[in-house]
Amino acid sequence: MAQLSMHEPAGGGNPVLDLSKAPLPTAKTLGARRNLWLQFWRFVAFDLRIMRMVIKGHH
Amino acid sequence: MAEVLILGAGVSGHTAALHLRRLLGSQHKVTVVSPNSQWNWIPSNIWVGVGEMAKKDVVFPLAPVYARKKIGFHQAKAVAIRPKGDADDPRGAVDIEYTLPEKAGTTERLRYDYLINATGPKLKFEATEGMGPGGHTESVCTADHAVEANHKLREVIEVLKTGKPQTLVVGTGHGTCTCEGAAFEYVFNVDHELRQAGVRDLARVVYLTNEAALGDFGVDGMVFDQQGFQTTSELWTGSLFRERGVEAIVGTHVHRVEERTIHYETLDGTSHTLEFDFAMLIPPFGGVPLQAYDAEGNDITSELFAPSGFMKVDADYTPKPYEEWRAEDWPTTYAAPGYDNIWAVGIAFAPPHQISKPRKSPNGTVIAPSPPRTGMPSGVMGKTVAMTIADRIKHGTSAAPHTASMARMGAACVASAGTGLTKGSAAAMTMLPVVPDYQRYTTGRDERETRGELGLHGHWVKLMLHYLFLYKAKARLGWQMIPE
Repeated sequence: MAQLSMHEPAGGGNPVLDLSKAPLPTAKTLGARRNLWLQFWRFVAFDLRIMRMVIKGHH
Repeated sequence: MAEVLILGAGVSGHTAALHLRRLLGSQHKVTVVSPNSQWNWIPSNIWVGVGEMAKKDVVFPLAPVYARKKIGFHQAKAVAIRPKGDADDPRGAVDIEYTLPEKAGTTERLRYDYLINATGPKLKFEATEGMGPGGHTESVCTADHAVEANHKLREVIEVLKTGKPQTLVVGTGHGTCTCEGAAFEYVFNVDHELRQAGVRDLARVVYLTNEAALGDFGVDGMVFDQQGFQTTSELWTGSLFRERGVEAIVGTHVHRVEERTIHYETLDGTSHTLEFDFAMLIPPFGGVPLQAYDAEGNDITSELFAPSGFMKVDADYTPKPYEEWRAEDWPTTYAAPGYDNIWAVGIAFAPPHQISKPRKSPNGTVIAPSPPRTGMPSGVMGKTVAMTIADRIKHGTSAAPHTASMARMGAACVASAGTGLTKGSAAAMTMLPVVPDYQRYTTGRDERETRGELGLHGHWVKLMLHYLFLYKAKARLGWQMIPE
């Protein structure tokens, strides 16, 4: 697995990961994740991908 | 007439039983032995554990389904396998002990022509001192555990409402745990519930995991193609942790749990303590304890089972370093070596090695996530072995076995991050194959099929799977059309 350098203990008694370099979603992305119309199409696309994978990889 | 005996009625065992009944004529006998009276859609235990579903929504009684489908059912636990029978009968046999209240403790010897071991895991809470429902932490591994976890969570939320800060810890309770995905789901559902209750600002939420990096999930992590760039599941999940304000501590092995204190070690060999007010820690899994005897009564347990208690199958168990692991190491038929009528599927089969890179701390503590083999792969294995047995019965013992390697099959993992038809969210992932094949794909997996998405649609998918798989497990009209 490709490693990204997020492993910087932040102190405080426990080696908590420093996630300050992990990307935060923009307001646009957060909105898209809740947009019913967009999410409906993501739902359809995800279901189709599962079915394709079932056909491709299961037997 | 042939008799097929299935030990276990979880995803793989129940799937195998339904398909065998469908594929075989009524002259053949299909019998299930399970210590549980109910079937449990375990992925939804997460929602029971935060009070978004009741226990009755995730379980149903097995006996009426088996009666309707003409499948024999013994509510009992298997205690011994006799693959070559005994002095009275050379057919294979299994010793069972009833758990049905009216017959509790009664034993019986069942004969079989074909045997499927789908006994699932033994939850090894005892591997970590003080862990588990009998100790100081909660679990969501069974529906009853999840009900109890929700009670404890509600108590903590009530304390938070008085203005007193609380620390909630969710994760894995041992260096060799699997099912990190379940802990991942639970931590974000807890976060969601705290927000719904308006007390999130007073709660410290910590994810404590044996994964060496976030997003490992016991499958060595994933590489996704997102808008023309490769990104890792580590960065992708790290984003969610940052967005939700959930602290993460990785590469941990919990040594012991005291009331309100977790003692753990990290991969660098240092020891730490973490104070908590609520903790849900997943236990490590072992094989369900089963003995094996030959016809003369000699103990042959080590011939059939790995030291972990999981049954050996057609995998390559030769010890080798991570760099030499290959897709071909993984089993394809799930047949027990030396026996042409015994198979082990789901969690019951012994994997050849981990999927994630195994690590040790400088103190020699093994911190290595075990391979997940639940859900979709479990169901596929159950169906595959059912088809092999049906072909052997119908066309003779030389019929070629059906195959389904975890290094070929894909899986969908939908990790809930909060409920609600318009406010819910989930991390929806697909991977193909489950076991990365670095000889075939540069990133280990098919980049077209290996994806990760966050959003409301993930919650809809998880909810759809909940209803679809309960419908399928109840063997309602057209159940066989729903893929595993």
